[in-house]
Amino acid sequence: MNPETRRNSPTVLILQIVSLVLFLLLWEWAAKTRAVDPLFIGQPSKIFAYLYQSVFVDQVLLKEAVWTLSETAAAFVLGSVAGIAFGLLFVLYEPIERFLDPPFSALNSLPRIALAPLFLLWFGLGPISKIALGFSLTFFIVLNNTVAGARSVDSDWIILARMLGAGKAKIFFKVTLISAVPTIFSGLRLGLIYALLGVIGGEIIASQYGLGQLLSLLANTFETNGVFAVLFFLAALGVTLSKLMSAIEAYLLRWR
Amino acid sequence: MQLEERTASIDIENVNHLFPGGVRAVSDATLRIHAGEFLSIVGPSGCGKTTLLNLIAGLIELRDGRISVAGGSPRAGRHEVAYMLARDCLYPWRTALENVMMAGEFRGVPKATRMKRAKELLGHVGLAEFEDHYPKALSHGMRQRVALARTFSLDSPVMLMDEPFGALDAQTKLQLEDVLLDLWNAEKRTVLFITHDLNEAVTMSDRVVVMSPRPGRIIADISIPLPRPRSVRALQKDPHYHEIYSNVWSRLEEGLNQEGRHAP
Repeated sequence: MNPETRRNSPTVLILQIVSLVLFLLLWEWAAKTRAVDPLFIGQPSKIFAYLYQSVFVDQVLLKEAVWTLSETAAAFVLGSVAGIAFGLLFVLYEPIERFLDPPFSALNSLPRIALAPLFLLWFGLGPISKIALGFSLTFFIVLNNTVAGARSVDSDWIILARMLGAGKAKIFFKVTLISAVPTIFSGLRLGLIYALLGVIGGEIIASQYGLGQLLSLLANTFETNGVFAVLFFLAALGVTLSKLMSAIEAYLLRWR
Repeated sequence: MQLEERTASIDIENVNHLFPGGVRAVSDATLRIHAGEFLSIVGPSGCGKTTLLNLIAGLIELRDGRISVAGGSPRAGRHEVAYMLARDCLYPWRTALENVMMAGEFRGVPKATRMKRAKELLGHVGLAEFEDHYPKALSHGMRQRVALARTFSLDSPVMLMDEPFGALDAQTKLQLEDVLLDLWNAEKRTVLFITHDLNEAVTMSDRVVVMSPRPGRIIADISIPLPRPRSVRALQKDPHYHEIYSNVWSRLEEGLNQEGRHAP
């Protein structure tokens, strides 16, 4: 039996559901009896009530999510395009990589969230400062994966392409680049999650809109149930984005 | 242009090759391969036969000696030369058909032409039903069949093959040798075939050239008078073949012994 079927076997699924329900019940009980102050942990029934209200009734969560998701999408697309472009440039012209390596390494080692105040100063409270933060994370991840993928191309594939009469450009686009796609894709999957991280981080620090801003507002007003509701929503959002990327990947890389 | 009219011979004169660090891989090799001839070079591993092939292919720079291939000097990517390795080197993101079409694609052959040729060749190598399979779904032997089809998909008059069946099991190897001979019989091209398997060399070739252990020298050049067309599998039971084989074997031993006496 392969690991995939084992993971999805009905026994495991039932156990997972049962333990989740038990956990929620225990949580509910602890909050209700005030064994733990609900100010810190909220209360599951109220969390779900908030979720229901803000998704289906006043749709606050959805409206804020639109902001966050559009910022994430912008950060992801810009960061990925720039990351792949620079990665390919580095592989094609190594001197450029050597020239840019010190500043890029320094920026990449910097905890990116530390750039938030600067971005706020430059781009204001609006979406652009969040996009910039997400971009700064996605860019380096995709860049590094692109370079690693293109560098690890099988040398026999290149030799064969040369013998078959392919010129440098054809070798690059038809062999090197395509062989790097799996590695680039794992960079994109990670890059998307990090774009979301950057955007949420930026929104928490200072923003007028977005899930991060909502989260920070709810926490500051001790709306613990709301905080948990947003967190659940964000987790679901993250999983959905990841699954979406995996589905695209499975289709594009069906030859693997 | 007809294939036969082209100058398709390989001329090697006084070729030496030293690797960085002073390892002598090829020593004073002189060899003439005629148009349409199937010639094998046999020798122990590390004797420099692959180096010689790569010099002819233009993958290694020739520094000492003269090589002429199909009327030109060695250069990787020449249209006159096809090349095949022990590894199938199929691109995993392309189907069998797309892999065979690849060679023509690199050389700017129109799509309809290469598709027709590729389908024809996949039929010849017995993989017509596997056109749309990705390499991961094919066995070792099938992948090497695709590689054979890809090698033949170009009309290069010279084919360089570096132990193309070296990684296959004995049964599959015999099958593929026959597939290669069938393809070759249909359009006699010049084949330079590298192998360490004397049986393979004798059954397939018009001539067998033996190289000594490093530094690789040519120590025997033997014509194989077996009639064509041949079947590698049928030859395994043919007494005439065994006679020739033992003859080549003793020539080889003789050459190796003489080498031993010459060695310092």
